[in-house]
Amino acid sequence: MTERFSSRWGLVLATLGMAVGTGNIWRFPRIVATNGGGSFLVAWVVFLILWSVPLMMVEFSFGKHARHGTVGAFVRMAGKKFAWMGGWVALCATAIMFYYSVVAGWCLRYLAAAATGGLKSADATVVWESFTTSYWPMLTHALALGLGVSVCWFGVRGIERVAKVLIPTLFVLVVILAVRAVTLPGAERGLEFLFAPDWSALGDVNIWLQALTQNAWDTGAGWGLILTYAIYMRAREDVPLNAFMIGFGNNSVSLLAGIMVLCTVFALNPGASSEIVGAGNEGLTFVWMPQLFAQMPAGGFFMTLFFLGLSFAALTSLISMIELATRVLIDVGFRRRQALLTIAGAGLIFGLPSARSLDFFHNQDWVWGVGLMLSGLFFAIAARRFGLERMRSEVINGPGADLRIGRWWTFLIAFVVPIEAVALMVWWLWQARTWDPDWLNPLGTANVGTVLAQFAIALLVLLVLNRWLARKAAGVKEASS
Amino acid sequence: MSGIAVLMMVLIPGLIWGGFLYLLTRAVRSESAKREVGDAG
Repeated sequence: MTERFSSRWGLVLATLGMAVGTGNIWRFPRIVATNGGGSFLVAWVVFLILWSVPLMMVEFSFGKHARHGTVGAFVRMAGKKFAWMGGWVALCATAIMFYYSVVAGWCLRYLAAAATGGLKSADATVVWESFTTSYWPMLTHALALGLGVSVCWFGVRGIERVAKVLIPTLFVLVVILAVRAVTLPGAERGLEFLFAPDWSALGDVNIWLQALTQNAWDTGAGWGLILTYAIYMRAREDVPLNAFMIGFGNNSVSLLAGIMVLCTVFALNPGASSEIVGAGNEGLTFVWMPQLFAQMPAGGFFMTLFFLGLSFAALTSLISMIELATRVLIDVGFRRRQALLTIAGAGLIFGLPSARSLDFFHNQDWVWGVGLMLSGLFFAIAARRFGLERMRSEVINGPGADLRIGRWWTFLIAFVVPIEAVALMVWWLWQARTWDPDWLNPLGTANVGTVLAQFAIALLVLLVLNRWLARKAAGVKEASS
Repeated sequence: MSGIAVLMMVLIPGLIWGGFLYLLTRAVRSESAKREVGDAG
């Protein structure tokens, strides 16, 4: 008997936990601040509807209808020739899992340091540099991976129980921090910066593509993670209302995080605001935020809450990535715990290079971040193969649906999402030409060559293995744990 | 703060947070209705 979430709330909280990750807290505030504030927010809301929510419905439909992980689901929905596309989705999410565990480890390390007062008086730049050049990230990577695996060990019930505690707590933490930030003297400068629109920016295509990228990366749509959790949804469970709820819930947290970070920055160090929001994800979170919290009354307490929230966000997303990879192995005949130990071993080994080298970490983040856009395109192609009208009538508007979805969804998946995915990939690769003079060098950290080389190797292997993948992943019934 | 920033501060969170709360309320009502008719699961 396949496991199931015990209730709708178990599914929704686990899926929200998947969607809300570090990208909501450390990337969204930076991107909105550097891309026109209020006008970026308009584009960001538009792409929530034009990218994230329609793709979430596709993923829910795949999982609910096929009841298989990404490879098996692509075979069952689109046919045997499409196993490699499901394999790509799994590979992308698993490659991200390898380095995301390192990120979760950083968050845990900073949580411990904040809770013990180790960050308050120290030079944050020195702390960050000495930490990342030490062996500590390898240990914290192993710890984060171990925590994620131990939750998945107990199957979907374990994931559900953890999500029911961590996600409501995370919402409360983010609200507390946002309220603290807006009540700081001078916080209105942060609100002005966040919400004041620069209407001329809406004529800049880069703003729209940044807003689309933010939706593609931080809602989790098109990653295969929602598909994986949807395998365990009840037979008469709703798809469309859940998809909207998760999209809006995820972006609600992003907005709170934007308010929290920008009000804190503008209230405590307005002179360095440009430098702070331009410092990159790690620079903002691990170098600047500890310095800002240190200036705040009861700063140690609020710093601990910040890193606690960040750790919860990272761990619940990591758990979904571990479950995705585990589920693919279960489909090919592994027992759950065998599969988990295999994934844990692989995650431990393949995460080590990112734990040891920030250059390697940034390379993987760049390559598989672009890979996710291809994953979104593959979902749209496979959904077309299944039949969009059939999917809409039989699955999305099928038993248990709380909303009726019209033909607008069919149009978005057939035309708009594929165009968005191609535009995003072309735009990012075009931009990357200017980052590195040797832009075709496959050994570069963040350039076009490294993406093309790693994509070519991965796609070649998956295409060669297509027939084997199709036979194994779609044909074997789930082994019990 | 400028008037347009205040307007955007009402509109964007109103849409995102208001939308989320509306969808959540709708899901809660749907679940309780399904429970009443024994339709869940």
